[in-house]
Order: sequence, then structure tokens, then C-alpha cells
Amino acid sequence: MQLLLTVNGMAHEVEAHPTARLLDVLRDQLGLTGTKEGCAEGECGACTVIVDGRAVNSCVMLAVQARGKKIVTVEGLADDGELDLLQRKFVEYGAVQCGYCTPGMLMSAKALLLANPVPSEQDIRIALAGNLCRCTGYTAIVAAVKAASGQDATPAIVLPGEADELAVEASTDPETLAVVDEVVEAATAELAERGAQAPDDLSSAGPEGGE
Amino acid sequence: MTDNLQYVGGSYPVHDVAQKVTGELVYGSDFSVPGMLHAKLILSAIPHGIVKRIDASRAEALPGVVKVFTCFNSPMDRFCRARIHPGQDLSPHDETLFSEHVRFVGDRVAAVVATTMATAQAAAALVEVDYEELPPLLTVDDALASDDILVHSTGNVAYEHEVDKGERPDLEGAVIVSSATSTPRVHHAALEPHVCIAQGHSTGGMTVWTTSQGVYAARTVIAELLHMEYHRVRVIKVPMGGSFGGKTEYIIEPVVAFLARETHRAVKLLLDREECMIATMARPATRTSIRTACTPDGELLDFEAATTLDAGAYASSTPDYSIHMCKKVTKVYRVPHYQHRSRAVLTNTPVGGAARGWGAPEMAAATEIHMDRVAAALRLDPVELRLKNMVEPFDTDLVTGLPLGDARVRECLERGAVAFDWAARRARPAGRGRFRRGVGVAAGAHKNGMFGAFPEASNMSLKMNEDGTFELNASLHEVGCGIVTTMKVIVAEVLGVHPDRIAAGEADTATTPFDYGTYGSRVTYVVGACARATAEKVKQRLLAAAADLLKESVTHLYVRDGAVRLRHDDERAIAYRDIARLGEMRHVPSIAASVSYFAVSNPASYSVQFAEVEVDCATGLTAVTDFLAVADVGRAINRGMVEAQYQGAVQMGIGYALYEHLDVDERGRSGIDGFKNYHIVNAPDMPDVQVLLVEHEGDDGPFGAKSVGEIATVPTGPAIVNAVNNALGTELSDLPLVPERIIAALHEPEEVPACSSC
Repeated sequence: MQLLLTVNGMAHEVEAHPTARLLDVLRDQLGLTGTKEGCAEGECGACTVIVDGRAVNSCVMLAVQARGKKIVTVEGLADDGELDLLQRKFVEYGAVQCGYCTPGMLMSAKALLLANPVPSEQDIRIALAGNLCRCTGYTAIVAAVKAASGQDATPAIVLPGEADELAVEASTDPETLAVVDEVVEAATAELAERGAQAPDDLSSAGPEGGE
Repeated sequence: MTDNLQYVGGSYPVHDVAQKVTGELVYGSDFSVPGMLHAKLILSAIPHGIVKRIDASRAEALPGVVKVFTCFNSPMDRFCRARIHPGQDLSPHDETLFSEHVRFVGDRVAAVVATTMATAQAAAALVEVDYEELPPLLTVDDALASDDILVHSTGNVAYEHEVDKGERPDLEGAVIVSSATSTPRVHHAALEPHVCIAQGHSTGGMTVWTTSQGVYAARTVIAELLHMEYHRVRVIKVPMGGSFGGKTEYIIEPVVAFLARETHRAVKLLLDREECMIATMARPATRTSIRTACTPDGELLDFEAATTLDAGAYASSTPDYSIHMCKKVTKVYRVPHYQHRSRAVLTNTPVGGAARGWGAPEMAAATEIHMDRVAAALRLDPVELRLKNMVEPFDTDLVTGLPLGDARVRECLERGAVAFDWAARRARPAGRGRFRRGVGVAAGAHKNGMFGAFPEASNMSLKMNEDGTFELNASLHEVGCGIVTTMKVIVAEVLGVHPDRIAAGEADTATTPFDYGTYGSRVTYVVGACARATAEKVKQRLLAAAADLLKESVTHLYVRDGAVRLRHDDERAIAYRDIARLGEMRHVPSIAASVSYFAVSNPASYSVQFAEVEVDCATGLTAVTDFLAVADVGRAINRGMVEAQYQGAVQMGIGYALYEHLDVDERGRSGIDGFKNYHIVNAPDMPDVQVLLVEHEGDDGPFGAKSVGEIATVPTGPAIVNAVNNALGTELSDLPLVPERIIAALHEPEEVPACSSC
């Protein structure tokens, strides 16, 4: 049967079997493999997507039930390559290990924040009760959601700063740079000259040969 | 060297975090190849018997079905799923691709290969299998008592091991305490199911994409079983959604490789949750009896233990597992005499094998529950009793004869007791009402690689690119705990560049050098030491190139922030990218190095954990209300990830103590077939987990670092059990403490079985 689904803001017309699960249509027909399958019975939450604002397990929802509805998957969180605040907090707070539960966690947390922008810690834990994680003990995940709602959170991971801030762009001092340039120029000239004379002798140009 | 660390000890996310939060990362289960076929296994429906007939005609008549492979049309060569390298021979080759003699509910009988997953599933349901049933041996006791019914013709005891070390002192006047503890068979519960894709090439070669923890051993198993030369089998590690040991052994890889070779196509096998639970591997169930003798003031004089381990239907790694259960106690406690007999026993139940901690959580449960009994018998505080007996730094392990290294277990206990406010909390009454509180403590140890038992080494190479960035070429197997990041941070520290300036990928037998893989708590300690040694060699080349250019002695130079700098002149520096320019002109040798690193030690890693619980005496439900994990990590390379690993490990340990078990019924079937009836601790049930790191530098790991991932979960279970016993005044020792057991204990105190019962 033909279905019209709006996924991550884009309308899709798909041909789906009446018993097809929403998860299969997303993964197999639309190629949105960010949504994961962990149990196929609505217990682990790895397949969570947002349907009309509510978090649902796409492994226990028929595609036909999503007909005409607005669906958001993990691929729809970032805006034109810019990570959503929730995604950024998951990165900064070390909420990701193997990452297989992450898409579902993000979608459950996103649905929570849409409905309740300043949730208590207990609200967060209950909203994530249907999302199992075997790596993290949830500490960092809960902290990340808290932080994404603008609340103070004790981070499990404190990033030492933005990467580019720390990756100091080393520069060679002018005096040394002049020596480098000189050596490179001399070597270039020498190679050009040698190339003209004996093109196959290049391999012995370095002091220790090309190790 | 480590006084002024720039990157080590910081906190970093896993290397592929951006791809994980966007959904971009292609996990094994997401992976596909054009024209790929799909396989579905047909598993034995009975625990023990002989397959008499398989009728696949209806299945093969289904459009889209390529072929049904069975025990009657496939090779019956044997393989061993638990390999490290070709020379290792501890476990028997007792398994075939498909079984004619089926040995458990879940044994592979056949596989359907079809063009789509749906077709493969539909066809699998049409395959008819007739069995001649044999009496099943569903418990260790049944298996040990049976002379005529055998799981394998070699006998029902897969392996027997005994250690007897030290001298038993005079035990006159000693206090004798006995205990018996059992631990359950549990599911690893990695969120991503097992998956493998293999493609048979027209060249006669093959590519295998696997979510395993060791590509080289996968290649050994596949190549030997299929009689292929190694260079024709390329095994590539692909991103995986967790393992916890469950993907260490090569269970589906040989099957998928065979199907791909036979069909000359790419074949994908993705298991469902029930198949993962019953047909792959589980943490083995164990029973351990302990009898100790100690002086009236609590000094251990003698420690005798007997363990039986339920190996399930195939030996897998349980021989080594049973050996290792004998190597745990003497890493934690000094005792003049230690005797331990352990047996791995085959039964007609799901296969037991590698699991996070490799026998250590099982043995810590038995030991630490026992230690609380001793403390109770002597009216000593559990912390005090342990302090009287714990090893000191640089002691020798009585059983292995190896130095324990800078063993800080005592410091973990002392600092933890203060941080947890142990004495005051222990003194608080448990209460007599419906809700009772208690606190418990437990210690545990694990290893750092395989040195002492096995040639332990790693290989890698590192090169500088033309722009001064670096590429590390190593067989890394990321399982989710950040090992790629760990390696980058180690290299970054040595070279004085930000970790983001270093690229590192995962293992591929065709392109990355030999390494065993991510298991045995070897990665940080051994592979990380190799990374450090490799980076040091590259650094020497950078320094030599700069020294030549600057006309300075190498001893006057140091590296920091992407440049070689002059100690006595802050102004002078040569950026790596300018050294690279010299290299391009071949004025300096290539800035690259390859290193083979051989481990020189195998110290112990420790954790001491403190739990507070509240038990509801009406329902039997236990809530863990507070938790402190103290960790002797040597040095945290990635601090945030070390803490996060511990938080996750405690979650796993709570499940082990309170909820998780994979039992079989009298017909050999697991009543548990998914997460709906297998409880993983979820977010509302998790306590706040505090992590306290004990750092120092006395061992051979990079910057002093020791293993984390496995030891982290070792003492969690017994800390919780001890807390429950403290709350209720019980002597519970059969894990997990499900409500039925708690209620039963409240109404009828358990008898302590004698030591010989094991």
C-alpha cells in the first residue's frame, strides 16, 4: 500500500506492506539507519523516534499507523550540519559509549524537552525508563539532558575546551623558518638539477635514504 | 615525566561520538553490500538428541530462497570458537557449522539463505526437522552423575584444574568458616545483536565484516575451518553496539563465511534478541564452596575453594575461565596456603563463555560474601577484617608467582571507607519495619593482559603526514569504551599535539598489524604501552630532524603544542608541519616508526565498592540507594571515560546481584526470550554512583595506567549482596537476589551447606 510520511521535514511516498513496521520503512526504504533495533518488542527503546511530538518505539508501530504524521528520527535533529543542543550535550557530557542506544535516548529526551522544557532529574529518568543502555549507567545521559534544558548538571566528562581552542596552531619562529625555507629551496634546486642529470638517483637524496 | 601531563588525565568523548549522535555511524547491523543475501538460522528445539531428517523442500520452493544449508549437506569439520592465535590449544575443537548431534535448545541445525531477510525468516519457518531425543543433562549435578549419557564423547567434565600453593600452617585454635555461593548464567545484553557479513569473491578470497573483539583470531578460525590460506581471508572490524565479552568468541563468523563461500555472494546474518540470548554465549553459571581458617583476631591462615562452572553444551573458553577463577583470591588477600579445585562441566544448556571479568566477578562474589561470614563469626567489622588480610604494593601473587605491582587495594578500601562514611553507616540500625537499610563492601582484582600465561605483545606504526598531523596504524577494536581515544591521547601526550591531530582507525587483517584484540584487560596496559613506545620513537625522529636543522643537541629540545622547542630559548620553535616540509624534500628521513612491544609485567587492577540498599520486606524488592566505587587505575588516561565505565559497570553488577538470570526449565528451554522478561537496570532504578580514583605510577602501563573495563564490575555484585545481608541479618549467597529469594530468606533462614557439596 502507498503511504505518505513526513520524515525529518520531508514528505515521502512509500510503498509498504500492511504489516511493515515503521522501523523497517525508515531503515530499509528511506535508508535512515540511525534508528536502531535492539529487541523488536518495544522494550529497549533503541528504535525510538518522535511521531507528532511523542516518543514512540518504531519497532512496535506499523508504518501505516504513521500515515500522514510528522516523524523525526535522529538524522533530523541536527540542523544543516549544526548539532542540536541535546546532541552537543551528549558529546560534552560523555553520554555516549558504544552509542547503539544513543539515537533512541536522544529522541526520548527530545520528546521530553518538547513537552517539559525544564524537567526534574526524576522526570528525566522516567522519560528514559524505556531506553536501555548497557554501557553508561545512565549518569552521563541524565546529566546531558539536564544540561540541555539549561540546568546545572554534574558532568561525567568535562571536555578540556573546544578542540580547536586547544589544538594550538604551532608556528615556527622567523629565524628558524628562514633556515627551513633555505634548506627546502636548496634541496628543491638540488633535486631539480639532479633530476636533469640522473632521474633515477632520487632515492639516495636523504641523509639516511628513504627509510 | 608524568608531573606535567598535558592531555593524559583529561576527559574526551569516544572517537566517533559525532557520528553516533547524528546516526551517521554504520554499525554492523546497518552494513550492507550490493546484492547481499540474508541468512536465518534454524536452531534445535530440543536440548539433546540426534537430527534424523531435515525437510527443506517447502522452504527451498519459496521464491527468493537460494539454499538451505544443513548438517546433512555441509562439512562436519570441527572448530573451536575460542581462539587467540593458531598456536593456542586450550579448548577442544568441539563444534561444527551445523549439528547432527544437537546438544542444547539453540544449537545450530541449519541456515536458510535468501534474497531478503523477510524471505529467509519465512523460509526458516518451513524447514521441518525430525529429532531422536536423548535424555538431556540440564544441571551440573546431572552431568557429573551421568556415566552413560554424554554431552560430548570425551566426557562431561570439559576441564579440571587445581592449584595448591603455600604451606598450610598449624590450624589449632583457628576459626573455621564455610560458605557456598552460586552465581547465575547471564546474558551480556549488548544492545546491538550479533551480526556478521561475509562476501565470497570470485578470486577465491573472502572479506568478512564483523563486530568482533579480535579480527586476527576470527581469521584463524575461518581460514582453518574453510581450509583457506590466511591471505585470502580479510577480516575487518566494523562499529559495534557493545560486547562485554559476548562477541569475543567466533560463533557466527565461521557460519557466515561458509555461507558466503558456498553462495559466492555476500551474506549477512543478523541475530534477533532471543537468538543472542540462547544461541550465542552467556556468562557461565558457577558454584563455589569456600572453607577458610583464620586466627581469632582475623588473620587468614588457610583458604580452600571448590568451583564448578556450567560450561553449557560446548566448552568454548570455559577451561581458561575455570583456571582464572583460581587466580583471583591471592591478588587481593595474603594467605599462607591456598587450594582451589575448579571444574568446567558440560551440560545440555546454552553455551557459557567469555564475559566481562573472566571469572573475577564470579569468584569475587564467592570470596567477598564469604569474608562477610568470617567477619560475622569473629564479630569484626568487614572493613577491618579485610584490612588485616589485604596484600601490600609489590607483593607476589601466591598462585601465579607474578608480582602484583603497585597494588593499591588497601588504599582503595581505606579511602573508600572514609568517603562512604562506612563506620557510621554500618553502625546505623537496619530498622525492623517494612523497609530495611544496610551497607556492604566488597573488593576485587583483575589482570592487565596475558603476560605470564601467554606471549603478550602488540604491534603498531605511526607516521607524520605532510602537514604535521599523524596517523596511527594499529589493530584497534573499539567496543564502546573509548580505546581509540585512549590511544590517541597517549600518542598526543608523547608528541605534544592535541589528540584531534592524530587519526586512528580500527582493525583490518589486510592493513593493520597483528594484535590479539580487545579482551583480557590488555588494551590500555599492553596496546597502550605499545602506542607510547611507538610515539616515543617518532618523537626521537622529530627531535633528530630539528636538532640537525637548529644545530642543537637533542638534549636541548622538547616537544609541545605541535612543535619542537628549545629549552633555553622560548622564542625558537620548529612546527611539525615545517619538519614535514623538510621530509617532503627528503632532507630528513621519514618521520615514522613501527614498533613491536612485548609486555614485561601483569600487575593487578583493583576496585573496592560500597553499596547501600533498602529492602522492601513486603515485596522482596531491593533498591540500591547509594554506591561508591573506588578504583586503583594506576592513572586515568581519559578521566571522564574511566568514571563513565565504572558507572556502567556498576549498573551491570546491580543486575547481576539482583535481577538477571538465564535459567532453563525441565525441558531445557529458557523461559526468557527477550528484554520483556530479562530485566536490565533502567534509568529510574540506577543510584547515584560516585567514582573515586586512586592514581599513582608504579607499573609498566602508559603513564602508569592500568586496566579499567573489566575490574570495574568485579566487586559490585557481592557489595550489594553483603548490603542486603546487613539489612536483613540473612546469609544470602545465591545470586541474583530476586524478590522470591529475599521473601523466602525472611521467613526461613538459609542453612550454610558444607564445603564438600560442590
